[in-house]
Amino acid sequence: MAANSAAAKQDKVFVGHLADMSGPTAFVGKEYADGVRDAMAYINANGGIKGTGLEFETIDYAYKVPQAIASYKKWKSRKKMVAMQGWGTADTEALISFVARDKIPVYSASYSGHLTDPKGKNPHTKKPAPYNFFYGASYSDSCRALVQWAAKDWKTKGSKGKPKFTHIGANHPFPNAPKAACAEYATELGFDVQPSVVISMKPGDFKAQCLSLKSSGTHYGYIGNLGGSVMSLIKSCNTVGTDIQFMSNIWGGDRKIFEAIGEGVKDYIFPTMTPFWDSNVDGMKLVKNISKMSDSSGTKSRPHHYIRGVCSAYYMKEAMEWAKDNGGITGKNVKKGMYATQNWVPKGLEGVCLPATWKDDDHRGIAEVNIYKGNFDKGNVSIEQVDTVSLERRADWLGY
Amino acid sequence: MSTSVTMRPCGDFRTSYKQDTTIFETKTIRWFAILAIAFACFAPFILDAYYLTLFIQVSYLGIAALGLNILVGFTGQISLGHGAFFGFGAFASAWLNTQFNIPVVFCIPLAGFLTMAVGMMFGMPAARIKGLYLAIATLAAQFIIEDFFGRAEWFSGGAAGSLAEPINIFGFAFDTDESFYYVALFALVFMFIWGCNLMRTRDGRAFVAVRDHYLSAEIMGVKLNKYRLLSFGISSFYAGIGGALYAHYLGYVSAEGFTIFMSIQFLAMVIIGGLGSIKGTLMGVVFMVLLPEAMEASVSVIKDTSIGAHPMLVDGLAYIKEMAIGLVIILFLIFEPEGLAHRWNQIKNYWKSYPFAY
Repeated sequence: MAANSAAAKQDKVFVGHLADMSGPTAFVGKEYADGVRDAMAYINANGGIKGTGLEFETIDYAYKVPQAIASYKKWKSRKKMVAMQGWGTADTEALISFVARDKIPVYSASYSGHLTDPKGKNPHTKKPAPYNFFYGASYSDSCRALVQWAAKDWKTKGSKGKPKFTHIGANHPFPNAPKAACAEYATELGFDVQPSVVISMKPGDFKAQCLSLKSSGTHYGYIGNLGGSVMSLIKSCNTVGTDIQFMSNIWGGDRKIFEAIGEGVKDYIFPTMTPFWDSNVDGMKLVKNISKMSDSSGTKSRPHHYIRGVCSAYYMKEAMEWAKDNGGITGKNVKKGMYATQNWVPKGLEGVCLPATWKDDDHRGIAEVNIYKGNFDKGNVSIEQVDTVSLERRADWLGY
Repeated sequence: MSTSVTMRPCGDFRTSYKQDTTIFETKTIRWFAILAIAFACFAPFILDAYYLTLFIQVSYLGIAALGLNILVGFTGQISLGHGAFFGFGAFASAWLNTQFNIPVVFCIPLAGFLTMAVGMMFGMPAARIKGLYLAIATLAAQFIIEDFFGRAEWFSGGAAGSLAEPINIFGFAFDTDESFYYVALFALVFMFIWGCNLMRTRDGRAFVAVRDHYLSAEIMGVKLNKYRLLSFGISSFYAGIGGALYAHYLGYVSAEGFTIFMSIQFLAMVIIGGLGSIKGTLMGVVFMVLLPEAMEASVSVIKDTSIGAHPMLVDGLAYIKEMAIGLVIILFLIFEPEGLAHRWNQIKNYWKSYPFAY
């Protein structure tokens, strides 16, 4: 009887899923959440975690921290949550202490650099985040990769003198996350770093800011915002007539944005952590099957944010499988499962998720950044890969 | 039954001002309040972390909302920057603790005083302007302080946020929901009793006089500038205490949360609860904290049914929830503009004269 109930307990494990589908970051939040949700439903429909079902609940917390905390507590105390799929910077950071104490791994879509330091080794790290994981390079690392690309681009074009680099974004933790780290590296590579230009996260008329970009003679501008704000910036700067090479963070560039902006998009540079929907790689077959969980016709084309959500869920899945074989699916074991393999791609997602390595003192899973160029040409969006940057795992970059 | 639970019994006359300004209307209500608090002390033994966290939220938001009600409901001023003051309290407490090694129990009231100073600074225009003009001035406070959080790395940690140690008294850390619950309960009861008492003092009556008719108040000798500014100070003090509790509960403060939306949420709390009512403030906060949770629970019920899996509904549910919250607030403003406190009084009056309305 006791054995039976123990087996029944292991029959299902609970994973909480926080998503922003109606709040300020819903523009990309919904796509990412769909990816996580479909992947978990697909895992369930195909044998679960080696026979253990994945019970999950998606809560749209609309980017409100108190609701995120309440949901977390509900899941922890009532559902015996073993892991959580999270979302934004505000909620991920608010939960750092709780998840560390409760030993619940969180897979978020906040790529803040300081989440990568589980032991607080770097003096820049405010708070060690031992139970936080994310799939992808941190905002700081992505920005460093873009700066590397920019340095190469400057040379390739045969330009003379010091290129000028400017950070563009709202004065908020999300756009600011890589600002200092990226500026430091840009200076190291010989850029002349300009004072950052502040534009609101909400769409608006940014001609004044574009004029100051023009007058400072910025060559490379890193955009820290997303969605509507990026659209407004490009439109405003086209009107003003700036000659800037725009580069954005991972949320600031996708097909949907380029289609919305239309003719204004020219050689827009952005990083990704996965290939695109129409890429011819082995793993995309599994992604397309997963997509059918919420789109049975299979006609919907998903952005790279969706695919990143799938990767996030699948790394968790494989860590859970390891945990099941090594003492049971508990938060602590799932965390250990994340360190069990190195240079690791979840089965079936070859070519989609990049090989990742997490260590108990270094949560920089990915140190590779694929860089793409987007163009809008006579009604068509064209996106092509222009570079792959492999970043060093420098000790002074950990958690920064 | 000779005594009643909710109202003053027949023959209970008040013959002095002192009797007329008691916190609790009847002895029975007072005993009920004391019993409720005594029972509340046992809550962590019965309730799980989810309920406790909801209570903790009610407590830190309630303290801040009471501050806003003192300003808006009792003094007749307006503030659209309360969320920023709440955030300032959170950062100030964390900053005092990490920079000067002051124990957290002292940082919380000190953060209240620092926020009070900032609040009074931004409240200064209140001496000369009122109404919409004042609203815009306080809106500026919201944006200035928010921007300050982003820039002042020495104070707020900038983009990386700020660390807030748990409250530690004689080596016992209040870092679990169960232990922090008692901190929250104490703070809530203390600050609300203080709020009640404040309204019974000379200063409290001066606030109400300023609200009801500033010209008459001035003729009576109430110094308008002093009381308007004081009201801003007290309001910010409450916001600071609420924010500091929030910081030390989470252990981490990030500037992202303290936006204009938070300020509007505080306003919604006091309007729904009842302007110029202390118990109404608490009712409004409870309502605003529980509403999204209740909506989430009811949406989950639809999700579990056979129609819940329909793709259109799956996508729509998120919006249904948000829209319903908005709708409830609008309905409140239309049908119950005087707030929950007023409705509560009406229910009491109904039972008082039941079954004869007259």
